[in-house]
Amino acid sequence: MATQTLGGKEMEVDEDGFIQKPEEWDQGVAQDLAKTEGVQDMSDNHWKLVHYLRDYYLKFGMAPMIRKLCKETGFSLKEIYEMYPSGPAKGACKVAGLPKPTGCV
Amino acid sequence: MNPVEAKAKTKKAFRLEDISQDNGQWSHVENSDLMPLPAPLDNPAEEPAWKPLSDQARERYECNLDGTLILNIPKPKSKEEEQELVRKFLTGLHKLFTEENNWGFLRPLMLSMDHCANCQTCSEACHIYEASGHNPIYRPTCRSEVLRRLYHKYIKPGGRFLATLRHGDIDLTWPTVVRLAELSYRCNLFRRCAQTCPIGVDNGLIARELRKVFSQELGIHTKELHDNGSMLQLKVGSSTGMNALVLKDNVDFIDEDMSDKTGMTIKTPWDKEGADVLLIHNAGEMMAWPENPGAFAVILEAAGVSWTMSSEAVAYDSINYGLFYDDAMLAKVVVRHAMAAKKLGVKKIVLGECGHAHKALTVIADRLLTGDLNIPRESSMTLLRDIVMSGRLRFDPSRNDFPVTLHDPCNLVRLMGVVEPQREVLRKLCPLFREMTPHGVENYCCGGGSGFAIHSGHNFSDWRFKVSGRKKLAQILNAFQDCPDAPHKYVCAPCSNCKGQIRDMLQYYHLFERWGILYGGLVELIVNAMADVKPGFIEWEWR
Repeated sequence: MATQTLGGKEMEVDEDGFIQKPEEWDQGVAQDLAKTEGVQDMSDNHWKLVHYLRDYYLKFGMAPMIRKLCKETGFSLKEIYEMYPSGPAKGACKVAGLPKPTGCV
Repeated sequence: MNPVEAKAKTKKAFRLEDISQDNGQWSHVENSDLMPLPAPLDNPAEEPAWKPLSDQARERYECNLDGTLILNIPKPKSKEEEQELVRKFLTGLHKLFTEENNWGFLRPLMLSMDHCANCQTCSEACHIYEASGHNPIYRPTCRSEVLRRLYHKYIKPGGRFLATLRHGDIDLTWPTVVRLAELSYRCNLFRRCAQTCPIGVDNGLIARELRKVFSQELGIHTKELHDNGSMLQLKVGSSTGMNALVLKDNVDFIDEDMSDKTGMTIKTPWDKEGADVLLIHNAGEMMAWPENPGAFAVILEAAGVSWTMSSEAVAYDSINYGLFYDDAMLAKVVVRHAMAAKKLGVKKIVLGECGHAHKALTVIADRLLTGDLNIPRESSMTLLRDIVMSGRLRFDPSRNDFPVTLHDPCNLVRLMGVVEPQREVLRKLCPLFREMTPHGVENYCCGGGSGFAIHSGHNFSDWRFKVSGRKKLAQILNAFQDCPDAPHKYVCAPCSNCKGQIRDMLQYYHLFERWGILYGGLVELIVNAMADVKPGFIEWEWR
């Protein structure tokens, strides 16, 4: 397990750069994680997506279905890829401090 | 040793014995080694650069094979720890070659241990060896020959001296063990090598059996397959992390979505006792490609099939990653699948579009399930063919007016011989269907086989796009060379793992933007052509 400085804190991250302790996530961590994903500035839309993912995760303990994410945030998948080039699972979920999605997804 | 030196060493004088040497990275693949690709990727200068392993990774983990990593084996802290791990590996090898410890696979393994004519017919059949620019460490015979020599020297009764004279020598050192471990994960287990071997040696099986020794004896496996795969499935119910409540909530959402899209009323039946068919999907479909299980529901409802899904933990996810690395995990999941079917009293289990689930539950499970647990199992390919050909549904093939090619998932096609059903459907419903070359039982792997598709740690995804997936990528591009300007092209890949790999490769090389290539399953094409649902089921958006 590697460590990385995120939001001014030393955080453990896995081989894909996902933080290992989702409870230590905060906005500063998100901003630094976004930079690892090639996102320099978090717009309101970037945050809207991250907060949706975060809320869903806190409620259900996992990431939402991609289609549900689109429907409930109003973003098309294309727009999500434009915001987070690695996509909803590997990009947006990472910035939202979720663990890396598991299984054949 | 820097990568250039490593490469020069590999190319000049490859010596199998060097696997035992403590001399840094054994080999390396560079962009200039890679097999050329067809248009529009025919400019080698545009090939993206390899992402190097981080210093942190090199410090912490054993990375002495080829400059990438999948297993993350921590460096032992002392010589004693190294020795202990080597000793454990040897214990594992002894178990591998005894009936009571390996009754399931001992016989085919022994057939592959005795002889190899070293003719290298298998190497020529291997997509990884070819795509890597013929790197000798990726020959299917490389890891097998190491194991064979270890077997004759350390395991088989008789004199070591004669054995090494006769079969060649290999020293069992920590570098041997750790390189063999990583090397067992440079094979997609898709067994084209076994198919071409003139004397029936199964190098794919050998790679898998090696993984088994590492998992069962040393606790070395990938986090994706084990902790977040088999273990999560057994603990929570699914490798995706979905428990039954989340599952039903998600499927409700899919049902609603399908009803909107098709104009039909779709309601997935749960736990219906006595149904003809228990349909088990790879649960990853619901998360990443919900239109796939959705399309299944549309077809089965429209055709009036008596079917159900199970909400029993483990049984609503057809994945069985143990197939790739561990017999104990494999057996635990197989039994849970069969028990759910027995509890519901269904006539048969039908597997959705997931290749390894087919192999695990229909073929390998035959050695594990006895008595009333041996419930009939069928591929969805044959069921779908029967429905499409029966005349029960009305079709308008002109709705599928785009070029379609078909990827053959290895477990479904080469292993099980399910070749024609999906083709009958495509010939009937897709006027611009074209085959890849070669195809059917001679297909090439997507490059994500044996679970690689869900591995992207460090720089492993570079390896799986550039090396293991390259042959398939070339096949896909070749299938569309006659229609570069067609705005939409469709790769039909009826397997979740293959879809994941194909998606990631298309994205890595920007082929949706550049050439309009999208991917998906078979059922989506069927529903897209159903005359009685709203047109436009397939959405030409990247997913």
